[in-house]
Amino acid sequence: MILLQQVIHQTYFVMAAVVALLLLSRLFLRRTRPGLGYDIVYAYTLIPFILRALHIK
Amino acid sequence: MNRGLLTRRIALVAASVVLMVVGTTEIRALRSYRETVVVSEAFTKRVSLSTYFPGIAGTLMDTSIYLFDSGVPGGSVLILGGAHAYEPAGAMMAYVVMENIAVSRGRVFVIPRANMSASTLGMLGNAYPPFFRIQTGWGEKKYRIGDRETHPLEQWPDPFTFVHYPSTQNLAYQDSRNLNRTFPGRPDGNLTERTAWAISELIRREKIDMTIDVHEASLGYPVVSTYVCHQRAEEMCMMAAMVLSAEQFPMKTETSPKSLRGLTHREVGDFTDSFAVLMETPEPFIEKFAGPMTEDLMLAGRDEFIQTAATRGLLYTDYDIKTGASLDYRVGRHLAGAAEVIKQMGEFYPEKAVRMTWPTYAEVMQRGIGSFLHDPAKADQRRVFRN
Repeated sequence: MILLQQVIHQTYFVMAAVVALLLLSRLFLRRTRPGLGYDIVYAYTLIPFILRALHIK
Repeated sequence: MNRGLLTRRIALVAASVVLMVVGTTEIRALRSYRETVVVSEAFTKRVSLSTYFPGIAGTLMDTSIYLFDSGVPGGSVLILGGAHAYEPAGAMMAYVVMENIAVSRGRVFVIPRANMSASTLGMLGNAYPPFFRIQTGWGEKKYRIGDRETHPLEQWPDPFTFVHYPSTQNLAYQDSRNLNRTFPGRPDGNLTERTAWAISELIRREKIDMTIDVHEASLGYPVVSTYVCHQRAEEMCMMAAMVLSAEQFPMKTETSPKSLRGLTHREVGDFTDSFAVLMETPEPFIEKFAGPMTEDLMLAGRDEFIQTAATRGLLYTDYDIKTGASLDYRVGRHLAGAAEVIKQMGEFYPEKAVRMTWPTYAEVMQRGIGSFLHDPAKADQRRVFRN
C-alpha cells in the first residue's frame, strides 16, 4: 500500500518533468506558429512544471 | 532555425529561470528555515517520532519529541503543538514550555511541530507572510507561520473524498493531509495517517496520561476560547475552565462530539488510555473577515473588521480592538490552560499527578513571550536544537 502510494506520488514528479521537457522541445523545435507571443507562452508555462519536478513548489 | 530566433528563445528561457529563482525566494526560505530552541535545564532527551513508528523515517513528518523527565514517579503528559501550523500560538506555547519548564514529578513530552511539513508551506490563496518575529532582550527570533495541511511535496495527490479510518466517515478531500483529521492513524495509510499513527503509538507505549493538543480558532467559530475534551476528561476540563474563568480569563469547555471523527480529542481518547484535551484560543489572523493578513495582525491581533463583528454580537468570544488578541495573550492562555488541566488531573487522580512550572499567564502578559526565549548564542550548545 505504502509502496503504491510512493509510486503514484513520484509519478507526479516524473510527469511534471516530462511535460517540462515537452514544452522545452516545442519552444525550440516546433515548425508552426513561430511568433514571439507563442515563444513567451511556451517559456512561461515551463515554470510550474520545472518547480514541481525540482521539488520546490 | 536562424541565429536570431535561437537567441530569442534562449533569452526567454533564461528570463523564466530568473522568474523562477526570484519568485520562489520566500518559498525556498520557508521550506529550509529551521527554528532554534534553547531547552531548559529540565531537558532529558530528544528522540524522533519514527522511534515509535519507523514508517515515517526519512520524511519531513519525522518530527522531534523533547522529553522532560523529573525522575520521580508520577503521571505523563504530552503537549502537541503545531498540528495546524497556521495556528502558531500552539508551537509558540510549546517552545515557551521547552525553554522554561521545571519538572519535580512525572514526565512531560513536548512536540512543538507535530506536522513539520505543514509548517514549511504557505496557504494557497491567502497572502500572508511566511514568518513572524518575536522581539527579545537580546535580538529577534523568527518562526514559520505555515499552512494547515501537509505539504503536497510530501503527500500528493489528494483523493476526491477522504474516507477516515477506521470510522469510514467521509471528510473533505484536503483532510487527507490534515493531521487533526487523520487520528488515530494507521500504519499502512497515507503519510499524514502514518504520522497520526506514530503519535498514537507514542501515547500508548509511553503510557501518556494526558494529551494536550494546542490549537487556535477564528473568533467567528463557536469552539473558540474553549477546551474540547474527550468524555473521560470532561470533569477535569470543566473544573479547569471554571477556575480559569474565575481567576484569569474566560474559558469554555465542550465535550468531544462522538460523530466528529479524526480529531485528537475524539480518537486519542477512544484509541488510547490517555485523557484527550484540545485547546483553542482566539486568533484574528485566520479570521475570514479580517483585514490585511500581516505580521502585525499575527502579533498584535488588532483588526477593525473583527471589532465591527464584535460590536454587532457576531463573535463567540470577547474582543476589544484596544487590547486585541495578541500572540502574548494567546500563548499565555495556552500556558495557563495546560497548567490548570494538568493540575486538575492530579486532583482527580493523585497517582497521575505531574508537578511542573512554566511561565504563567500573568507573567507572559506583563513581560511578553520574548522575555522567556533564550539567546542560543550564549546558551550551552548541548541545549540548543534546530527544529
